Amino acid sequence: MNLSKPVSELFWRRLALTPAVGIFVLLSLLPLANLIAMSVHEISWQNGHSVWTFIGTSHYERLLDDGLLKKGFFNTIIFSVIGVTIQIILGFLLAWGVSRISRGRVLYRTIFILPILVPGILIGAIWKLMLNYDFGLVNGLIGLLSVQPIDWLGTASLALPSVILVDIWHWTPFCFLLLLAGFESLPQELHEAALIDGVTAWTELRYIYIPIMKPVIVVTFLFRFMTSLKVFDEIYLLTGGGPGSSTEVISYTIYRTFFTQDQMGYGSAMSVAVLFAIALMMVLGFSMSRYKVQGV
Amino acid sequence: MKQGISRRDLSLGAVSAGALSALAWSPSAWSQAAKQTPFTIVINNSPWFDGFRKVVEAYEADTGNKVNLDVNPFGGSLEKQRASVRTKDGMFDLLIMNGLYYQEFYHGGFLTPLNEIDPGFKLDPQMVRYDNTVYWNEATKSHDPAGKLMSVPVNGNIPLLYYRADLYEENKLKVPETWDELLANAKKLHNPPKIYGIVQRGARGAPNDVSYDWWPYLNSFNGNLFRNEAKGDFTITINSPEAKAALDFYLRMAKEAGHPQTGGLAQAQIIQNLVTGKAAHALLVIAAWSQMDDPAKSAVVGKLNAAKVPHGPNGKPSPVLGHWLAGIPKNVPKARQTAALAFLNWFQTRGSQVKYLQAGSPPVRQDVLSDQALWKDPKNRWMAAMAESSSYTRLMWSIPEGAQIGDVLELRLNQAVIGELTSSKALNMIADESHAILVRSGYKTGKIAPLA
Amino acid sequence: MKINKKNLSIEHFFLILVACFVLVPFIWIVAAGFKTQISLLQGEIFFTPNLASFREVLFSKTTEFFSNAWNSTVIAVISTFLIVFSATLGGYAVERMQCPRWLIHTLLGWSVVFHMIPPITLVAAWFPIYRELRLDNTYSGMVLAHMALHLPMALWLMANFIHDVPIELEEAARIDGCSTPYLIWKIIVPLIAPGLAATAILMFIFSWNEFTVALNMTAKQTSTVPVAIAKFAQGYEIKYGEMAATAALALIPALLFLLLGQRHIVKGLTTGALK
Repeated sequence: MNLSKPVSELFWRRLALTPAVGIFVLLSLLPLANLIAMSVHEISWQNGHSVWTFIGTSHYERLLDDGLLKKGFFNTIIFSVIGVTIQIILGFLLAWGVSRISRGRVLYRTIFILPILVPGILIGAIWKLMLNYDFGLVNGLIGLLSVQPIDWLGTASLALPSVILVDIWHWTPFCFLLLLAGFESLPQELHEAALIDGVTAWTELRYIYIPIMKPVIVVTFLFRFMTSLKVFDEIYLLTGGGPGSSTEVISYTIYRTFFTQDQMGYGSAMSVAVLFAIALMMVLGFSMSRYKVQGV
Repeated sequence: MKQGISRRDLSLGAVSAGALSALAWSPSAWSQAAKQTPFTIVINNSPWFDGFRKVVEAYEADTGNKVNLDVNPFGGSLEKQRASVRTKDGMFDLLIMNGLYYQEFYHGGFLTPLNEIDPGFKLDPQMVRYDNTVYWNEATKSHDPAGKLMSVPVNGNIPLLYYRADLYEENKLKVPETWDELLANAKKLHNPPKIYGIVQRGARGAPNDVSYDWWPYLNSFNGNLFRNEAKGDFTITINSPEAKAALDFYLRMAKEAGHPQTGGLAQAQIIQNLVTGKAAHALLVIAAWSQMDDPAKSAVVGKLNAAKVPHGPNGKPSPVLGHWLAGIPKNVPKARQTAALAFLNWFQTRGSQVKYLQAGSPPVRQDVLSDQALWKDPKNRWMAAMAESSSYTRLMWSIPEGAQIGDVLELRLNQAVIGELTSSKALNMIADESHAILVRSGYKTGKIAPLA
Repeated sequence: MKINKKNLSIEHFFLILVACFVLVPFIWIVAAGFKTQISLLQGEIFFTPNLASFREVLFSKTTEFFSNAWNSTVIAVISTFLIVFSATLGGYAVERMQCPRWLIHTLLGWSVVFHMIPPITLVAAWFPIYRELRLDNTYSGMVLAHMALHLPMALWLMANFIHDVPIELEEAARIDGCSTPYLIWKIIVPLIAPGLAATAILMFIFSWNEFTVALNMTAKQTSTVPVAIAKFAQGYEIKYGEMAATAALALIPALLFLLLGQRHIVKGLTTGALK
């Protein structure tokens, strides 16, 4: 298939891409280059000036011994895999449900989007109150069922699941929004075909909607997974990485290293290493998805 | 409700203070009341900020000089200060630095010694020195009183023992002087789940909870992080038998009279427990006091009182510093530096400090803190304890690497509180990890024999 | 062929159940703005509404709420518009304009990787540049930063939605002599309207709630709502009431945008579509 390429076509192509590329170069390559440069130096400050000492791969070697970072990586993966999977499933079912009903669509749509309208700080602060051992709403509600109060955030085994719960509440709207857009983009005939006699909801789902929606599902999953790996707000506000290291996540480790401890060199090495690891995962995930989705 | 003393009182106070101290001060100090260029203060939002703001407004009204306030969330202030001092020309002229992070500004050489801005400036003898953190010796890198003056304190935040005075009266209890007495009182009042004898900050904090809460125990049991910081000997001694005794006592306190989930309590939960009446005792900073008597924020209005933190076997209480210092960076124009210093000069007068107190912030002048006439006001019932504590305040550390050690302390102490580690194991790990940090940063350090 | 009138009660039951799970915490958060702090700390479920927090946020001497809300609105609207515009054009270029495969993969891959850099390190790297160019504490600086942060995702999303548009439609239009801009505006856009609306909503929300850059790159003049909310977390006292009141007030424009967006934007985009 050959689209003709007059001069104006090339012009439009350049113009179309310019804004995106321009911004990327200025604001994204520079920080990354800076990060990589810092990761091979030890940086200190004397007399108001920075002192950069080249130390090669010292920082990276230190990373390998960092038990807290390893735990953080492990926790982050669990957090993201479990959390995002549930969010996708829930978001999908909600989007499917909303696309099927005829009445109350706008209402449901607005309700299901509400959680991401609230700033992360407030979500963290209020959920912390709700999960409080002595006064929280959750313990109050289960108290009505005569259950003893549970320390959701202060018990090592429950802390991460509790944070995942808050994350699900916070981010399912994201999945819902994109998956709903996917549903609404489907051709009308598909919806009508699904109304044929004798087709159960489950069959509809399995043989019609899931295959058709696969591209959208994959994109939504990848994006939500990526942003989930960066989780910070919830951890910072709800648990501070504790109890112990049960809710330590990489963003939080990097934040403490880079910012609280002002270890710019080591923190940069951490960031670069994490970036590399994630990029590797993405490449694998991307190429796997290309097998299942035709023609990306 | 109109607060504060009238302008006439303020001027009168200023004049008399000026007259009294004219003997000790050079004339140039007062000549700075002249017209100054506008300057910017970067500060964090907090209960005592309100008082600070009112004092700034009084300064503006008094002198006609303009002051800009850049207000930030707690952690956000550090980010902005750091960014500002590291660029060519800074955005902020007066940095309000917390006792936990000012070290990087001293060590990094970002601040101008105050006497380089005005050789005649003197820190009023009545201003509390807070473990000499206002002084800095560039050569020895220590808080040497003979060193240069780098900052002026604006808030002397230390922990006090908050206790339920009403329950004390009911049960005829005496204010505890030692940790054992505190434990005994706490056990007597311990009646879960209605009320806990004491609530402790056992959480792994950002930047700190459990280490700040435990430090008064450590020091007063004669334990120390470094062998002799002032002399430059950074041998790690955190895993000494004394420190173990301090940690064991802390854990015992939690077990026998404390909250069942101490490992999850951060400062906000301590305050929550106090104001809702669920705690009989707590070690809490004075900066949180103003909430306790506010009916919109507290269910125990008028029932709490404050005392010095108890002491251990060595007889000396050691309230740990979480204070705030005001420093002037190098990378701003001289005119703005002078304006900032002029404000500090005005701030440290007795009149200004009394106004500061009446606006709701603890003053930083010893004569105001010890003024028994002011103690009579029930609103100021915490002042006696604070005045007594001034000479005992202890700094956690004076080095920027302290932030890394703090992280280690938070993790391992929290693990001890939740029972993941024994106290010996936790202290040994802290010692090993702190040692590694110092070795990496080139300090003269060593270790002591590990605990059994 | 008989078409079944579906029994939708199961769907409704499920949706209502989830709606409760969503709404209960949400209402709890908004209600916090109407409680006194002690009432909030005690976890009172039945309380007498109190407007002190709202009064503090809206009318106190030190309030900056209106200027913050205005700043947030300006920055969010402009950056949303610019992002969606760039992303649509960029997405079209990526999908349709025979760009070399390696370029596409690098661009998209890069947007993924970039997303993983912790915001705090980005800010640390941008700050000196911003100071040099005098972009700190300006609207343009913030819009630029938001574009840099969110354009990657928008680009990928739009590329995906455009991918679903059947190529035959475009070929038909070209045969009729359509130029590219006309093609994009009159044919592509209406067909990707739901996706475009979803992207716009997300970009608006992300910009509105963005915190890290706003905290460090703004001062009083351009400070945004999330920074104002964060200031209430004071270290020695968390002013939950004021935080909730600010967030509740800030919700109003966001909700308006959402409701309008659903009805009008989508409708506006789909008029004139060739089906």
